[in-house]
Amino acid sequence: MDLRALLRRTAMNRPAVLALALPGATELRPAVEAELRRRQWPVVDAPAAADLLVVCGVPAAEGADWLDDIERSMPAPAVRVVVGVGEGEARQIALALDAARRELIERAVAPQPAEHAEHMEHMEHQEHVEPMEHVHHMDHQGHDHDSHMDHMDHGTHAMGDIAGLPMAERADDRDGLRLDRLHVPFGPGLSDWPAGLILRFALQGDVVQGVEVDHLPVPAVQRPPFWDEPWLRAAHGEEVTRGDAARRRCAAHLDSAGRLLAVAGWDDVAARCRRLRDELLAGATRTEVVGELRRTVRRVGRSRILRWSIAGLGRLPADRARAAGVTGPALAADGDAYDRLLMWLREIERGLEDLDDVRPLAPDDRSGPRGRLDGPRSPSQALLDVLPALLTGAEFAGARIIVASLDPDLDELALAPATGSAHA
Amino acid sequence: MPEAAPLWATVVLPVALAVAALVAAGFDAVLSGAAERGPAGSVRETGRRAAAPLREALRLLVQQPRRTTAADRLLGRLGVVLIPVAAVLAGAVLPWGFRAVSDPSVGIVWFNAMEALAWAAVWLAGWGPNSALSLIGGYRFLAQGLAYELPHMFALTTAALGAESLRVGDVVAAQDGVWFVVWMPVAFVVYLLSALAMAFWGPFAHPLARDAAGGAAVELAGVDRLVFLGGRWLLLVVTAGFSVPLFLGGGHGPLLPGWAWTVVKTAAVLMLLVAARRALPVVRMERYMETAWMVLVPLTLVQALVVAVVVLNR
Amino acid sequence: MAVLDDVIFWALALSAVAAGVMVFRFDSMARATYALLVSLLCVGGQVLLLGLDYLGVVIVLMMTIEMAVMAVFMVMYMMNPAGLLPMTMVHNKKGAAVICAAVFGVLAAGILLAPWPARRGRASDDPTMDLGMSLMGPQMLTMMTLGLTLFATIVVTVVLATRRGRYDRFGDDLSAHTADDPVRGGVGR
Repeated sequence: MDLRALLRRTAMNRPAVLALALPGATELRPAVEAELRRRQWPVVDAPAAADLLVVCGVPAAEGADWLDDIERSMPAPAVRVVVGVGEGEARQIALALDAARRELIERAVAPQPAEHAEHMEHMEHQEHVEPMEHVHHMDHQGHDHDSHMDHMDHGTHAMGDIAGLPMAERADDRDGLRLDRLHVPFGPGLSDWPAGLILRFALQGDVVQGVEVDHLPVPAVQRPPFWDEPWLRAAHGEEVTRGDAARRRCAAHLDSAGRLLAVAGWDDVAARCRRLRDELLAGATRTEVVGELRRTVRRVGRSRILRWSIAGLGRLPADRARAAGVTGPALAADGDAYDRLLMWLREIERGLEDLDDVRPLAPDDRSGPRGRLDGPRSPSQALLDVLPALLTGAEFAGARIIVASLDPDLDELALAPATGSAHA
Repeated sequence: MPEAAPLWATVVLPVALAVAALVAAGFDAVLSGAAERGPAGSVRETGRRAAAPLREALRLLVQQPRRTTAADRLLGRLGVVLIPVAAVLAGAVLPWGFRAVSDPSVGIVWFNAMEALAWAAVWLAGWGPNSALSLIGGYRFLAQGLAYELPHMFALTTAALGAESLRVGDVVAAQDGVWFVVWMPVAFVVYLLSALAMAFWGPFAHPLARDAAGGAAVELAGVDRLVFLGGRWLLLVVTAGFSVPLFLGGGHGPLLPGWAWTVVKTAAVLMLLVAARRALPVVRMERYMETAWMVLVPLTLVQALVVAVVVLNR
Repeated sequence: MAVLDDVIFWALALSAVAAGVMVFRFDSMARATYALLVSLLCVGGQVLLLGLDYLGVVIVLMMTIEMAVMAVFMVMYMMNPAGLLPMTMVHNKKGAAVICAAVFGVLAAGILLAPWPARRGRASDDPTMDLGMSLMGPQMLTMMTLGLTLFATIVVTVVLATRRGRYDRFGDDLSAHTADDPVRGGVGR
């Protein structure tokens, strides 16, 4: 084997992974993350940095163009694998990742000129025709910096399109000036982002002037949403222990806190939260996790810099939250993003005590990790409803922290068919 | 007294800086490995984790470059390449013990000018790909840079004032007895903060933050990414290393030769900065900016005043 | 050494002029700004060549910062990245060209025709110091007062131009505990 091939093989031995989850496949994401961590494959958050795109959940036949676009905007050799929900998930994930690495190494060692040409052609194709073609072309921070929803508006705009991309139009800004306003769709192809959520921002400079909440279709599956499973199963009369419910709640909050901390840029603690989440989901006992969990929670709670950095973002007083139908920690926190994070941490500590409780969960206990599951609307629908008011007027740098501090779970939209079905 | 370094030092400098950057990145990888996967357990495993930056570099070399629609490739490339170039040029006035590759009479101003060049380069790299998020990242750094640069300049000026010279060699020579850190603690702390900031790393990684999916670097792939992120590590090593001649007595120290003291002190500062990154989240721009203008600038001005009075009276 | 100096001088001079011309030829604001920066960096190099180290490096430092800030101000009001929309950098193209050429011609003629004195004595050790002294040595106090006045003017202009004053921030009787700002700063006022 020549040296070049050996180097290429070594390079692709641990490919960088961009892992995206689709609605309805929430339980796959922690499983994939755990497996990647075990393999020590780097996880990245932009298509440009990735070699391998792992899609958790099988995309619908239509409206998945955004996945193609993400794959196209990855540098060669790029490979996509899809992992579906089903039996023997762990094994399925491992097999898929192995196959993907084999293919990556193959492509890296013997780059086919034909394929490369095709890749370039894709690019060309994108430059000229793309905006008209994909109405559903979600932003993956790529070439399409403009929302194509507003394409029609530009007919009257004197500037018109450049290189197939529409120009920004003008509107009044916060300080009474008339500035360019750019439409940037965010999601669903982002890491540390609620699976399937799409926010269409109207940005003026760094300021969010308006936002439209949208999401990918949520499949109406038979299974209850992953994070709410114990409570819903208990409601159906199945035997669920309090320990299982507490475990799921802790894991859900650790997942949310990990995302918020990652978006706030504290990778170290975010990684710890995720590791603890996976240990809990794998069935670790209280004594195994309690020490590190307490340490991590204390570390977050004590950080003045974190508090100084994110306090005051996304202020949601209890009366406004109640009026919007919000329940659960977001209501109890009665405050800003930082308070909501603290509330998660408090519930995690409280849940720790019940981890090994084998008494059955009361069938009328419907208080899931994100709120009451028996209300007129699902908890996440209420969280989505308060998003526009919280985001409008915020700086872009705070917007993702606000979203992460609410962390709506779009799987819950399938709970109440009366709501959120506009897009389904 | 400082003397001119031999010619081969010019060739060795970039290599030495790159090695230092790799070691620092390796140390960082070991720490983040501990956070992600728990304690390493064995020396072998620690070594594997420390080699992660090397593997990452190799992976980026194998990746094909990519381009985005309607990009300004000339400016984007320029921005990417300028960052390591500016870091190495800034490193030229870094004394190894008592010798630098070059020791001009205005070394401190030169160092600052090269930092400013890297600062402008980040904006170019963010501008180039024609992508909203990378542009936001680039702008963040420009806006923040103004808040960083002023306290940073005052900290540099304070050290120069203490030595009554802008020549880095003179600053080192003036610390033969007492290190500047002893009577300029505020300037030292502000310098360390702005060293992280000028390298847009760690708590000041806002221009490349995750909330913008990678900010200025979001569209960079392959070699471009390697040069940009590697350049950032070089910048961190150089700015951390420059605190040694400015405040920590340069090559002065007992027993060991000057160059060894430089290496030891630089390693200590780098370790401190890398470890600090573990303890702190990213500091958001609007919060730090007001602090920089309202707190750090007055503090550094008072510090400079104190130093000026001391210098006038000795 | 003299030959090398000549080579550097001409290389920098030609690059400076060429980059200066490109400022008007580029159709993207970002490129024009950075072309101007290249031109000014070359000028900084020339000053270094004259032995005025401090001035040369300060030109490099200040111009880099200024051009970067200018890029922000030029582009900040237009969110379309990468100069998608080609735009011309000059208004009144013919007039601008005539004026530029005339000014360049007059300055160049001045340089070539002026009766420069021959060097007497030798160059001093610290030419920057000498230059500063001869420029404003006796007027140091005047210059410092001027500097303060200019700075105060800048601050006052900004204060007068802001739409929001302290009454907007702290209420009509200035009794609010924290300011009512769209974005909270880090000091918590």
